[in-house]
Amino acid sequence: MIEKGKISAAQMGMMMYPTIIATAILLVPAITARHAKQDMWLSPLWASLIGFLTVYITVRLHELYPEKTIIEYSEDILGKFLGKVIGLIFLFYYLYANGIIIREYGEFVVGNFLFYTPLVVVMGSMVLACSFAVRNGVEVIGRLAQMIVPIVIILIVINIILLIPDMEVANMFPIMEKGIMPSLKGSIIPQGWFSEFLLIAFLLPYVADRNKGKRWGMISVAAVMLTLSLVNIAVLFVLGGITDRFTYPAFSAVRYISIADFLEHIEAIVMALWVAGIFMKVAVFYYALVLGTAQWMNLEDYRPIIFPMGFLILLFAVWSAPSLMELTHYLGSTSPFYRISIQVGIPLLLLFVAKWRKRANNQKLTQQG
Amino acid sequence: MGILQRVAKILLVCVNLILLSGCWDRKEVNDLALIVGLGIDQKKDGKIMITVELIAPKAAGGGQMLGGGGGDGGGGGGGKIVRSGTGTTVADAISNLQEKLPRRVFWGHTKVIVFGERAARAGIRQHLDFLSRNPQARLRSNVLVSKGTAKSVLELIPPIEQSSSEVLRELSESQLLLRVTIKDALQMLSGDTGAAALPMVKILPREKGAKELQTIAFTQRTAIFKKDKMIGDIDDKLTRGVLWLRNEIKRANITVSLKGEKGNITATMIRAHTEFVPKYEKGKWKMIVKATTEDDIILNGTKLDLLNPKYAKMVEKELENQMNKRIRDALKKVQKEMKADIFGFAEIFHQKYPREWNRVKNRWEEIFPTVEVVVKTKAYVRRPGIDTAPQGLPEQEVKK
Repeated sequence: MIEKGKISAAQMGMMMYPTIIATAILLVPAITARHAKQDMWLSPLWASLIGFLTVYITVRLHELYPEKTIIEYSEDILGKFLGKVIGLIFLFYYLYANGIIIREYGEFVVGNFLFYTPLVVVMGSMVLACSFAVRNGVEVIGRLAQMIVPIVIILIVINIILLIPDMEVANMFPIMEKGIMPSLKGSIIPQGWFSEFLLIAFLLPYVADRNKGKRWGMISVAAVMLTLSLVNIAVLFVLGGITDRFTYPAFSAVRYISIADFLEHIEAIVMALWVAGIFMKVAVFYYALVLGTAQWMNLEDYRPIIFPMGFLILLFAVWSAPSLMELTHYLGSTSPFYRISIQVGIPLLLLFVAKWRKRANNQKLTQQG
Repeated sequence: MGILQRVAKILLVCVNLILLSGCWDRKEVNDLALIVGLGIDQKKDGKIMITVELIAPKAAGGGQMLGGGGGDGGGGGGGKIVRSGTGTTVADAISNLQEKLPRRVFWGHTKVIVFGERAARAGIRQHLDFLSRNPQARLRSNVLVSKGTAKSVLELIPPIEQSSSEVLRELSESQLLLRVTIKDALQMLSGDTGAAALPMVKILPREKGAKELQTIAFTQRTAIFKKDKMIGDIDDKLTRGVLWLRNEIKRANITVSLKGEKGNITATMIRAHTEFVPKYEKGKWKMIVKATTEDDIILNGTKLDLLNPKYAKMVEKELENQMNKRIRDALKKVQKEMKADIFGFAEIFHQKYPREWNRVKNRWEEIFPTVEVVVKTKAYVRRPGIDTAPQGLPEQEVKK
């Protein structure tokens, strides 16, 4: 095995939490609000079903091939050639997705804080920082998560509490004015985010307490669902009908905080929180990418390809969209279908084929016996 | 550890230090001019004139305060500067203004936005869009309209506070009258009602002996908007009625006189709450407004001993009548005459009767004046202050 480190199941769950929410609370509330309006808080609930499904599929596959990542066992399931093709699809997807994530981060920082700093510098420094984390392997990323996640959760909760004086509960009504459809439509975009739980397919082989892997995966999905729903509801209570007019509604809401004319202008904290979260997100995606690539190419170590990969990621980030409008349009239109078909569709197919092959094997055995 | 390795490590740290400082967006505070107040006026030729009230942070070791004489924008004092610029849009005017400023403007501390009456009548949407779109500006800035030009308000030199903007912010926050932030204004303008209300300020006449410009502007009226254009304004008494109808009343004193009694009684509001019960029956829209208040007596000019619950009841009754009258007056003026739904009735109906409301939402402007409003008021007098019987009255004249 290339990776010799071990993490605990709890660490895995904690790694996945910022991996989903870090970017999901930036652009997604606005996109959800555009479709779901005052039902935007319901959308993460529907979307989380995809998350639970993804974790379930991944854990089942893991049970069949406990020592291997998805890149390795797709070869076992579909044969060498098809398996390599599927592996390439996954790797290309993760390269591309990582570029998009870095771009979202860069757009957020440059659009809100560092207006005159070149985008590539902001994105490049993040990729560089992540590459150091990835070089040190899964154990270090796991421990980082253990350190960062509690702080992220506490800060999110504190921000929501500070927003309470400005909340207007009536903004929530009428619930389901046009039936369930708007909130379901609004859930399509977050579904793309929840499908990212497939990443645990790269982490499960290195989990020490395997029997808890499923439990912590599910806990992580539930935590993400609750966080997104809570953030959406807080934003809705504060901004109401104009939520979808802001590019980063959660950020705009936090900027509105003012307690006793004293505790205000606290967006720097939010910025720190998001940078930490996105750092985790990029690190996990980056790690999956280099580990998968090394396995795909049968390398003995993944470390030599970290920096070249980092450079590629940066290029993809630059190429991914010419402007924030294009980026939001992509995220709000085609991206969920692309993400779900790759991160849920293909694993589901793999699972069916694996089950079917196993049954065929068993039948062969009984016929022989 | 070899000497080379050590050098390499130190070098790495140094490189990081350079990267971490974020040179491109480095801004020293003594290169900034903090905008605390922004005034937007429309000139006769349709051009936008902006007036900003600036605070320039003192240069390090500079000794005396900067500021003093302002250029074409009038005088300043106590560290504040007032400057103006013109252009076709607010953003345009800002760049015109920037030409006349040695420091870069910074929006992060903008406390108030004042619209001149003419600009308000021409429409405020595009100005608010600029302020909301700017990543530095804050949605919490208070929005006001001034009687006369915004410039005349911002160039005043207040005797107590440091700047006119601070005066206006404090007055807004006191919530005696209406208080509206950019976020509130945007919500009203893009909401169901198609109407908005902003507090309106007026310049307090200068005291005798005070220097020119040495006075303040204070919120006294409320400007009523339809869509984003101002259509009229109402005075402070009607504004209180409007506050009742928006469930935003926080502080007020109500003075009443009892039948058959000489003198007045004044009560101060401790708590107030308005509840709205929307009704839709047989194609008729109806709103029941239940206003409740808890009061303390702060002045008793009558001969009644208010410790007697019987008299307290009478005061309560009279308070209720007063409230009722104020709310009715506001309704008469705003609902029947101006036909602007600044109370947010549309949203309340929408929340309770979404289906029925969606059918009439395009005709709301016609329906709103016909909505039947039932006003129910309830007042509770909780305490007579810290006195019992009327002060300064011989014992035998007190009515027990």
